[in-house]
Amino acid sequence: MEVLDTVIGFASDAPFDAEIHLLSHAGKVEYLDISPNDVSRRRIRLSTDKGTDCAIALAREQRLADGAVLKLESDRAIVVRLSEQEWLAVSACDQAAALELGYFAGNLHWKVRFDGTILLIALEGPMQTYLDRLEVILAQGKVKVVGPND
Amino acid sequence: MPKSSIAMELTKTPNKTAARVGIGGPVGSGKTALIEQLIPALAERGIEVAVVTNDLVTKEDALRLQRSGLISPERVLAVEAGACPHTIIREDPSLNIAAADTLAQNFPQADVILIESGGDNLASTFSLDLVDYWIFVIDTGGGDDIPRKRGPGIIRSDLLVINKIDIGPYVGADVDSMQKEASEIREGRPVILTDCKKQTGIKELIDCLVHNVLFLDA
Ligand SMILES: Nc1nc2c(ncn2[C@@H]2O[C@H](COP(=O)(O)OP(=O)(O)O)[C@@H](O)[C@H]2O)c(=O)[nH]1
Ligand SMILES: [Mg+2]
Repeated sequence: MEVLDTVIGFASDAPFDAEIHLLSHAGKVEYLDISPNDVSRRRIRLSTDKGTDCAIALAREQRLADGAVLKLESDRAIVVRLSEQEWLAVSACDQAAALELGYFAGNLHWKVRFDGTILLIALEGPMQTYLDRLEVILAQGKVKVVGPND
Repeated sequence: MPKSSIAMELTKTPNKTAARVGIGGPVGSGKTALIEQLIPALAERGIEVAVVTNDLVTKEDALRLQRSGLISPERVLAVEAGACPHTIIREDPSLNIAAADTLAQNFPQADVILIESGGDNLASTFSLDLVDYWIFVIDTGGGDDIPRKRGPGIIRSDLLVINKIDIGPYVGADVDSMQKEASEIREGRPVILTDCKKQTGIKELIDCLVHNVLFLDA
């Protein structure tokens, strides 16, 4: 188990960028893939893409983020790779349905974004559980799914 | 490859930060009883504990722990949740964060700070700004259909505890099917059965914490 207790810098920033670049060409950067659901954790146990068992244990004032460098040695680096947030995109058929959908998403504490007339719902669990909750207004035709990642 | 200059500059400072573990679940499911079991069992493994409790408008749970003789009273802090027990663990956990910070400062050697929610319905979840890992406690007395009722607490918690397995037979709850359904709904994420009157499941629960958040199994 590799204990990683500090974000020492970011792979895209000097002075790390050059060194990480070299190491990555030599195949010596290990990535820790972290989902958007987990990125606000200070402590998490997971394996790198090369199978190294890692225990992240940051101080409270530190945060994980895409590109965070957690380990840098002469011949190896461990870098966080934030996976993409998945979204369920829905649209309402008219204003009344839009009000209902907005109320509904708030009532369920869903994380959302607005894209014009489309409501993007951040998937923090399986897509089906979201579709199940929307079942009634989907069946009534008040709301329709317009895409998972749009 | 020559020794990296940056790598050489990175001085290693030991960085002890206590893990923060949330314990949520409906009122009466056995959250405080679980903490009463955990404190001595953790101490036995050399793991130092502090506790934050949340009650609506009293400090009942904190007083119960402070008087239990299981832990020194200064290691327990109460936060009053007011009308909304889920708000202070999710939307605005600042009071709980402040209490945990105080404990961390007063007891820098603490390995884990347990944060007991005031108790809520199946919808309560913890902010990951407040905790690193969270346990959701339900009990057989609530009925064996509880896992089927899902809810974010049951689905999203890092660890689901089904407590009071001792009384299952008396309340007509089929403990095995509860466990099986809970594991299916949680897609294999951990489910542990406990009996806080007899310490059943406590070792397994601590093993889970040690591996997933305390990292003491190196
Ligand atoms: N029989 C039995 N009773 C339990 C168990 N765990 C807790 N209790 C009892 O259930 C009641 C509620 O427990 P408590 O810890 O206060 O629940 P909380 O509201 O979730 O903190 C108390 O009377 C406990 O003694 C258990 O495993 N078995
Ligand atoms: Mg309690």
